[in-house]
Amino acid sequence: MRTIKHARHGLAASALLGLAISSPSQALPISECIAPADPGGGWDFTCRSVAKLLRELELTDGAVQVTNMPGGVGAVAFSNVASSRADDSDLIVATSTVGMTQIAQGQYPGDADTMRWLAMLGTDVGVILVDDESPYETLEELLNDMIEDPGAVAMAGSSGAGGWDHIRALLLAKEAGMPADQMASVRWVQFDGGGPAVTQMMGGHVDMVSTDLGEIAGFIESGDVRVLAVLSDEPLPEPFAELPTAVSQGYDVTGYNWRGFYTGGEVSDEDYASMVETLETLYQSDEWKETAQQNGLVPLWRGGEEFTDYVYETIDEVESVSREIGVIE
Amino acid sequence: MDILAFLAQGFAVALEPQHLFLALVGCAVGTLIGTLPGLGPVNGVALMIPLTFNFGLTPTAALILLVSIYYGCMYGGRISSILLNIPGDEPAVMTTLDGYPMALKGRGGEALGLSGVASFVGATVATIGLTLFAPLLVGFAIRFGPAEYFALFVLAFATIGGVTSGSLVKSFLAACLGLLLGTVGIDSVSSVPRYTFGWYELYDGIDFIVALVGLFAISECLVFLEDTRGSNKPTLKVGSAIPGIRSAGKCAPTIGRSSFIGFVAGVLPGAGAALGSFLSYTLERRWLGRRGTFGQGDPRGVAAPEAGNNAAAGGALIPMLSLGIPGSGTTAILLALLLSMNITPGPLLFAQQPEMVWGLVAALFIGNVMLLILNIPLVGLFAKVLQAPGWFLMPMVVMVAFVGVYSLGNSAFDLYMMLAFGVLGYVLRKLEMPAVPVVLGLLLGGQMEYNLRRAMSISGGDWSILWNSGITIGIYAFAITLIVAGLVYSGMVRQRA
Amino acid sequence: MSEPGLNTDQVSGAVADRIAGVVLLLMAVGAWWYSHTFPAGFGQVVGPGAFPRLVSVPMGLFAAYLVIRPGVNQRWPQRAALLRQGAALLLLGIYAGVLKPLGFLPASLVCVVLLIRLFGATWRASLACGALLTVSLYLLFEFALGMPLPNMPGLDW
Repeated sequence: MRTIKHARHGLAASALLGLAISSPSQALPISECIAPADPGGGWDFTCRSVAKLLRELELTDGAVQVTNMPGGVGAVAFSNVASSRADDSDLIVATSTVGMTQIAQGQYPGDADTMRWLAMLGTDVGVILVDDESPYETLEELLNDMIEDPGAVAMAGSSGAGGWDHIRALLLAKEAGMPADQMASVRWVQFDGGGPAVTQMMGGHVDMVSTDLGEIAGFIESGDVRVLAVLSDEPLPEPFAELPTAVSQGYDVTGYNWRGFYTGGEVSDEDYASMVETLETLYQSDEWKETAQQNGLVPLWRGGEEFTDYVYETIDEVESVSREIGVIE
Repeated sequence: MDILAFLAQGFAVALEPQHLFLALVGCAVGTLIGTLPGLGPVNGVALMIPLTFNFGLTPTAALILLVSIYYGCMYGGRISSILLNIPGDEPAVMTTLDGYPMALKGRGGEALGLSGVASFVGATVATIGLTLFAPLLVGFAIRFGPAEYFALFVLAFATIGGVTSGSLVKSFLAACLGLLLGTVGIDSVSSVPRYTFGWYELYDGIDFIVALVGLFAISECLVFLEDTRGSNKPTLKVGSAIPGIRSAGKCAPTIGRSSFIGFVAGVLPGAGAALGSFLSYTLERRWLGRRGTFGQGDPRGVAAPEAGNNAAAGGALIPMLSLGIPGSGTTAILLALLLSMNITPGPLLFAQQPEMVWGLVAALFIGNVMLLILNIPLVGLFAKVLQAPGWFLMPMVVMVAFVGVYSLGNSAFDLYMMLAFGVLGYVLRKLEMPAVPVVLGLLLGGQMEYNLRRAMSISGGDWSILWNSGITIGIYAFAITLIVAGLVYSGMVRQRA
Repeated sequence: MSEPGLNTDQVSGAVADRIAGVVLLLMAVGAWWYSHTFPAGFGQVVGPGAFPRLVSVPMGLFAAYLVIRPGVNQRWPQRAALLRQGAALLLLGIYAGVLKPLGFLPASLVCVVLLIRLFGATWRASLACGALLTVSLYLLFEFALGMPLPNMPGLDW
């Protein structure tokens, strides 16, 4: 991980250079989007909706092909692009905070400087949920019980142990004063998605769920679950404006899950800049805002150099948190 | 009776001529895709989603088209299962067990016809169940936690001896091999690579379809290569589908029982259509015992998994629509499809968009009827294909398998893997060790393991959680009863002999 | 149990079953041993090694049983058949490797023609049917199903 900081400046500089010499008139056709997962999940959705909009908005010459390349929470696609498609300037690959967590914990065959980071287009936000009949009425009650006995609550989510859903929940415990050596005694149960986790909670098999809002919004609207906290800086827009943030309850924890793209590390500065530009045009369209909202994402733009910096920042953060909590040595 | 009114409205929409035409096209295209080894409903529907946007279809029309493709693919999978012994997708695996022996006896057409009718009945039972009991069943399904699912998988593997008539030891050994191969890849709980030996290609585990195509299609070709002298003769006589409709009447009790078992398995989101067809077949085989000739071309051996599988696919719609949880790979695709049409399945869907739900149910039903009608001419068509001499048919199967598998992940590694499984399948066949348990182990092992580990995480390491609930005790008691009854029964038979 | 009646196409599995039993036994033992190298997951009660161990125990037992009490086999192939099968596997292996670098059309054409020939057709039939099959597969996947196949290098449309 020592190489990161070093490479970061180089990459930031080249990104800057790329932006400086970009010519706005010439949009490069993005012709393929790799979704590093099976059809149906978040990354697949990101690719398919962006591919569809790129074509509809005529930002590309023809159809954008979506390739599913599942494996190792994105490791297979990462390795494939790094080894054989590093200079393909018509290729974008979907990623998110989940991918950053994998990089931070050394689960990918390479560091962040292997790739060029294009942009993020929107973000989902973490929520902490209990069943509507749960004895826990507030985040404080839940966390107090956990501090008293770390094994008191069975938590569930869609990431593996030490993954993003788990870390977000543990950050709250940490903020509430749980010592790091007790973090491993907190019970964590992984399910195949936020929906299954919530369903199991409704069946009384687990006590609390930490996951993204977008996937389980229906359960909140139907009143089947109680939201103890959303992990955003500010309260969310309607219809979720009433939900309390963790920050407002005195726990300074946020946990977003943004959706964005990277491309191969050997793509030229010029092509890189033009791809960022294409994505920015897409982001600014009303169609994207609409698609994002329908799927529980808040449209949010970071592109080019700014995004690259943000990626490195996120990875550094997740890495240090993972170390603190004991997920990695 | 709001529900019936909505259902009637759904049917009225689905029966419009334009929609019927789409259903016909969908069924035909789906059947083609499903027949190609390696390509199944998941590919078929995923491929067609962008097309529906291109044509600018209304949501209802798109749904009908895609659902028809889905059903067509499932049916196409039966065609290659029965006529070539090559299952195109996961639920078709069990159909090979008696379907192919029937085809060898020149009753392939009958098997296809029967499969069509059994599927239709299974799907109808599921539709009725869905209409009447959906809210009730959601309450039942959420009572299944990890421990209960684990018990269900234990039941499945305890009955695995019922899959084939060969040596019991070899069946269990094959199942263990499948379960072990299923652990290859990144462990999704701890992110630890297991048995990958540093190959990134293995990080996602062994692709089920790749293994399936290798075990069945490639090994079939190796068998064929043993003796190429007869390869100028047409491979098989297929016959007509009509007798199948008649023999479906004789299989009525089997179809009824299997539809019920399949439907229950489908309602449980972690179980899926594969478990539905698997349990239907093995339980029916136990039930009939010596009265059946399972494994040698018993029509009931085709009817059971087909009815079970389609009832499960219908039942899986309940958790998918009301909880947003896909019960199987194919319902996952339907879920993606609904999402891409901006319909978010979840607890509010039944209340907020009933017309969508019942429109979908109607579309499924229409798709089924369409297939039943298409069935008869299609059997004739595929009979023609099989009239091709073996030296052309087998290379064609191999090539389609290659292209199909290559298109899954665009990787040569998958192709090598498929060849390796081809050799494995061939060796297993020579050893008289059934390949089906390997496939089932590979397919169900992951869910079995993760539910075990989830249960242990919940209990904090206390193993007693596995048999602490009424449901788990019931399932284990059922499994033990089956095993004991089987032993006692075979003991009685031996004494009498 | 009574002596198993052998069909005409069945042979005793005394040798092959024992070999298979030993191989599977070794696999089970290897899987057991190797599973101890998997680091236990963070905060997980049952780690990634537990399930493989749970499976390898019955697998080892069944494999050992097979070594002690082998069953029946199907007749194994003769030398000529083995050669044909080996040739087919080699051909398909090479095909898998050159599919991407050479492009679908040329690689498949050569492969299919040789494969059909291997299955016992005449050269003339192999050439004709091979070409037909290659082109129709290409049209089917590339255009009808919209799944792109690797193109010939330097040829892009």
